[in-house]
Amino acid sequence: METIKLTTIKKEVVVQASQDTAFKVFTEKMDAWWPKTHHVGKCPMVESVLEQKPGGRWYSRHEDGSEVNVGHILTWDPFRQVILAWQIDGNFQYVPELITEVAVDFIPDGPKTTRVILEHRDLQKLMGGAKVVESMDEGWGMIMNLYKKVTDEA
Amino acid sequence: MTALKLDELALNALGDPTRRAIFEKLEKGPMSVVHIADGLPVTRSAVSQHLKILKEAKLISMKQKGTRSIYQVEQEGLLAIRKYLERFWDEALDNFKKLAEEAERNKTSKK
Repeated sequence: METIKLTTIKKEVVVQASQDTAFKVFTEKMDAWWPKTHHVGKCPMVESVLEQKPGGRWYSRHEDGSEVNVGHILTWDPFRQVILAWQIDGNFQYVPELITEVAVDFIPDGPKTTRVILEHRDLQKLMGGAKVVESMDEGWGMIMNLYKKVTDEA
Repeated sequence: MTALKLDELALNALGDPTRRAIFEKLEKGPMSVVHIADGLPVTRSAVSQHLKILKEAKLISMKQKGTRSIYQVEQEGLLAIRKYLERFWDEALDNFKKLAEEAERNKTSKK
C-alpha cells in the first residue's frame, strides 16, 4: 500500500552575511525569527531560548512566567552546524518521547555570503510514526497508556 | 473556504491519541470498523466517531465493500500537514534571512 512518507522537509536560503553571523543569529536570536504565531504552551510566548552548548536546552518563556520545553541540542559545531531535537508534535505540544531532527548547515559561499540548509527530518514521527510502530509489538494497552501519560502531562 | 482549514482539521484529528492509534493501524492497510476497533480500549461507537473526524480531515477515506465499510489512509490530509510545516519554516527562514543580513550590516558599519 502506498502512503506518503513525510520524511524530510528541506529548505535552503542564501543570506548576505558571514558564516559566523549567520550561525549566531540563528542560535542566539531564535526568539526574533521564530514565527510568533506558532508557540508551545497555552499562554502567549515572551521569548524562545536556546542554551549555547552541546546538549543545551531549547525552551520558551511565556507571559505567565512558565517555561515550556521545545527540545534540545544534539550537535553543536559552531559555526558550521547545529542539530536540534525538535520534541514538539504537529500541534506544537511538547512530547518528550517524540524526537524529530532539525539539522542546519551553514556553508560559506564567500566572505559575506552563507548558504543555510535546513532539514527537518523524520517527519513521519509527527504522524504518530516510528515510536508507535516500535511499540506495536508490546501491545496496544501499553501504547494507550503511554499516550495517556503524554496527554496528561501536556 | 470551510470554517477550519484542512491542515488544522488534520492536526486536530491527529492530536488525539486514539485517533493517532487508529490512523497508525490503517497505515498498515485498509480494514473494516470491526478490525479497527479490535484491541482498542474504546467502544465501537467511539471508534465510529473517531473515524468520522479522521474522514473529515481527509486523513482517511471509506469505501463500501458489499455490506461492509472499509477504511483506508488518504494522502490529502497528510500533505496538508506537510505543507503546514513547510509554511512554518518558510516564514521562519524569511525572518532569519532579514535578521542575519541586518546583523551583518551593523557589524560592518561599526568597523
